[in-house]
Amino acid sequence: MMEGPTFAETLVLGTIQVVLVLLVAPLLLGITKRVKARLQYRRGPSVLQPYRDLAKWWRKEAVESDTASSLTAVAPAIVLAAFVVATLLVPIVGVRPPLAGWGDLLVVVGLLALARFVLALAALDAGSAFGGMGSSREVAVSALVEPALLLALAGAALAAGSTDLGVIAQTASAAGTAWFTPALLLGAGAFAVVAVAETGHEPVDNPDTHLELTMIHEGMLLEASGPRLAILLYAAELKLVLVAALFAAAFLPIGMADRLSPVSVVVAVGAMLVKLAAAAVVLGVLDATLAKLRILALPGLLATASIVALAGLAARLWLPA
Amino acid sequence: MPSELSVAATGSGVILPLVAVLLGLAALAALAPVSRANPRGLSLGLSALACLGIFGLGVAVLISGEPVTAQAGSVLGFAVVHVRFDSLSAIFLLALGVAGAASSVYGIGYTAHASPERDRAAVAYPLFLASLALVFGADDAFAFLLAWEVMALSSAALVVGASPSAGVARAGYFYLAMTHLATVALIVAFAILASAAGSSDLAAFGAAAAGLPPLTRDVVFVLLLVGFGTKAGAFPLHVWLPRAHPVAPSHVSALMSGVMIKAGVYGIIRFGLEILGPGAEWWGILILAVGVASAVLGVLYALMEHDLKRLLAFHSIENIGIILIGLGVAFLATGVGSMTLAAVALTAALFHTLNHALFKSVLFLAAGSVQAAAGTRDLNVLGGLVRLMPITTLAFVVGAAAISGLPPLNGFASEWLTFQGLLGAGAEQALSPVARSASLLAIGGLGLTAALAVACFVKATGVGFLALPRSPGASAAHETSRWMGAPMVALAAACVALGLAAGPVAAGIAGIAAGVVGSVAAAAPAAPAATTAVTSVGPGLGGAVYAAGAIGLLLFVVASATWFVGIRPRPARRVPTWTCGIVPEPAFEYTATSYGKLIRLYFGRILRPTREITVELHPGTPFPRTVRYHGEARHVVDERVYEPLHRMAVGAAQMARRLQNGSLQLYLAYAVAALVILLVLAR
Repeated sequence: MMEGPTFAETLVLGTIQVVLVLLVAPLLLGITKRVKARLQYRRGPSVLQPYRDLAKWWRKEAVESDTASSLTAVAPAIVLAAFVVATLLVPIVGVRPPLAGWGDLLVVVGLLALARFVLALAALDAGSAFGGMGSSREVAVSALVEPALLLALAGAALAAGSTDLGVIAQTASAAGTAWFTPALLLGAGAFAVVAVAETGHEPVDNPDTHLELTMIHEGMLLEASGPRLAILLYAAELKLVLVAALFAAAFLPIGMADRLSPVSVVVAVGAMLVKLAAAAVVLGVLDATLAKLRILALPGLLATASIVALAGLAARLWLPA
Repeated sequence: MPSELSVAATGSGVILPLVAVLLGLAALAALAPVSRANPRGLSLGLSALACLGIFGLGVAVLISGEPVTAQAGSVLGFAVVHVRFDSLSAIFLLALGVAGAASSVYGIGYTAHASPERDRAAVAYPLFLASLALVFGADDAFAFLLAWEVMALSSAALVVGASPSAGVARAGYFYLAMTHLATVALIVAFAILASAAGSSDLAAFGAAAAGLPPLTRDVVFVLLLVGFGTKAGAFPLHVWLPRAHPVAPSHVSALMSGVMIKAGVYGIIRFGLEILGPGAEWWGILILAVGVASAVLGVLYALMEHDLKRLLAFHSIENIGIILIGLGVAFLATGVGSMTLAAVALTAALFHTLNHALFKSVLFLAAGSVQAAAGTRDLNVLGGLVRLMPITTLAFVVGAAAISGLPPLNGFASEWLTFQGLLGAGAEQALSPVARSASLLAIGGLGLTAALAVACFVKATGVGFLALPRSPGASAAHETSRWMGAPMVALAAACVALGLAAGPVAAGIAGIAAGVVGSVAAAAPAAPAATTAVTSVGPGLGGAVYAAGAIGLLLFVVASATWFVGIRPRPARRVPTWTCGIVPEPAFEYTATSYGKLIRLYFGRILRPTREITVELHPGTPFPRTVRYHGEARHVVDERVYEPLHRMAVGAAQMARRLQNGSLQLYLAYAVAALVILLVLAR
């Protein structure tokens, strides 16, 4: 393994990362909504609106279906836990993630699946047709997303010679521009497409829809209320940070701190904020400018991502380095 | 069992006879006249003890590191029982011991009310357990085939019972036919090896296999793959599995899916890898391709099922596919002498074998409880069981999460290793670009499989166990007896424990895998132990690890904190589900069929779904009285391969019938003609 930051440095950088990630997660959604509103010639809510929404839901009464089992109550806790642990495995501020050596990118993908399983299952708990709609769509779309996600990440893992995200980020930072091979860019493209699907934005899902028939992710949250809804919404915001950070760690590892100095920390935090904000802006632009694809047309888009990712792997294998 | 445990610690020589005696007594008890209260409780109880003995045997072999051997009986100079349980056998013995003990105890409750007719097949149960144990240890081709055949026949007897219905008899017949075709392939393969070795001893096989000409080795490999692949339920030889497993009693289904099909996996490792390997590169690619096809198609067909046990049977095909993916990489890696990679991949396959035995058993047992309690295993008329059968539901949910490959449970750990094997093969410079591409392509296939498995088990759990019951049977369901509940809970707990302790478990298995791999290529340097740290699973590509216990603990801590801060202090008010102003009823819920609709459409090219809608109108009006929907996925292999084969076989039989019309004169004429031809030829 490469020379990296010491344990103490990882600890401090990790703490900075945890605090920042947990704080800025709702801000990304605020930026996305704001950008979308501006592009639609609306003023739009303040970028701080998601924080106010969370506070509002947190204070409200929780209501649940009288057919619901205890799963409905437990699910938000597990979903949030899965995303929190997953963000700790991704290097965001420092080149080593806070939980370096605990798990690799496959564990992150596994934790995403855990959250999806629990949320999709809880959506069926109330016995409403809308929950079933959202849940069945979520699992079907994710079946198209997951192969592309893994193939795209496999490209970065092969380039770095490791599935450990810390090692990938370190190798990439050290390689400089040599990191950006055509093969890697193909993987990045594929990842970008599935990232949009995974976080539930246009043209796959409309996060602002109030029409039950078109919902995917929101359909699963329809029966949640009060603090539980706040937790699930916050988890979704955290997932946006997670996916964006995963992209940045594997395909755009610029500006990360590899040691603890005031300059490098400021640069790293700045770079992280810029990258996350850029992701939020891109999603806002997509939300405002793209129509939602028919749900039957999604395999066209997402299978293309898989094929592009495969092309990236093929390029790595068959083209001369 | 204190006495057995002490035996396991001191010397393992006593366990084997003990197990044999227990199983013999169990068989005798099964033959005894039926008592009124619990006809087969004694037999199953003795079987459970024997399974604990089998488990102890496995533990003893692993602890001592010394194989346990035994030899008994002989027919025409061939040993009837000739066993050598080494550490590879031990893994399979552990799976058999745990799944067998749980299934036997469960069976005590399950068969308490079984019909006496069905019950008459009970003698086959201890035989089945004994034959499984012998298959995993046979050290002689003849003894292996004998045990293999008893395994096939006894399981077939358990599937059909004593007086089967037409459908069950057909399933049993199909199973017997397929399994015997497989045995034919094995007999031919063993005959080739035995004639080269001049002995039926497996030790002699290993030496002889190396001297075979390449073409003969290839033929033997394909025969072994066909024979063992059929038993394992690998695509496209899987067609018997979804027919036979659902109709068997649930504790037998659990053993067949959890353990018996692993005999195929064991055979591929023992004969394909250890004796015949290292092989040509296309062997590994072929196993990889069969694995990916089994995994993807198994889970896709499972998604189309609404019969809970058939759904689980298709998932067995999927999981065999995942195991075969690991084996395929192990073959590829041993072929080029990349021993660390081979050890990682073989660890993945063996670990998944063990894991699948646990979670598939718990799922089949839970399905049996559902069937016993609700009178049906059709998901579309179930629902709401979570309130009526909380323990069964909890066990099923844990099993479902484990089989879906979710951290921190055991299924994820072995799938993680499988992914690492594929990535390692993709990065292995010694492999040809074709093999590397195949491995990388398989990453997509395995990812698809994992995501679809999540979809399928959300469907099975959500539709079958949550929300409102859809039928009177489901609303009248009740929790089953403790005999049935306790084994399920124990198996579910084992899934969690093996998930959290995945690091040490994988390290232990890796040691065995390294031994197997090392024996394959004695010339190559022995593989280093395939883990860096005992506390975490690994190493993967570039030393990556998965600290299973730590991740599990952290998940628990964060989830608990969220629960105690955000959820518990504010209990929810319970109100009826909002259904746009109508009183909620079960018809609003998504069924298994509607849940799979989108996937059915997405993968329509493969599944080729049919649907038939019949509308019956009120007479003289355009208003429908009843609307019936019937839809199913068509099974391509069944339609395109097996049905034409079946028609050809029946056609050939019809032709043969003309020759054999019962006329004595004609038969004498045949005899004369045959004699003349022989005389002419032998002249």
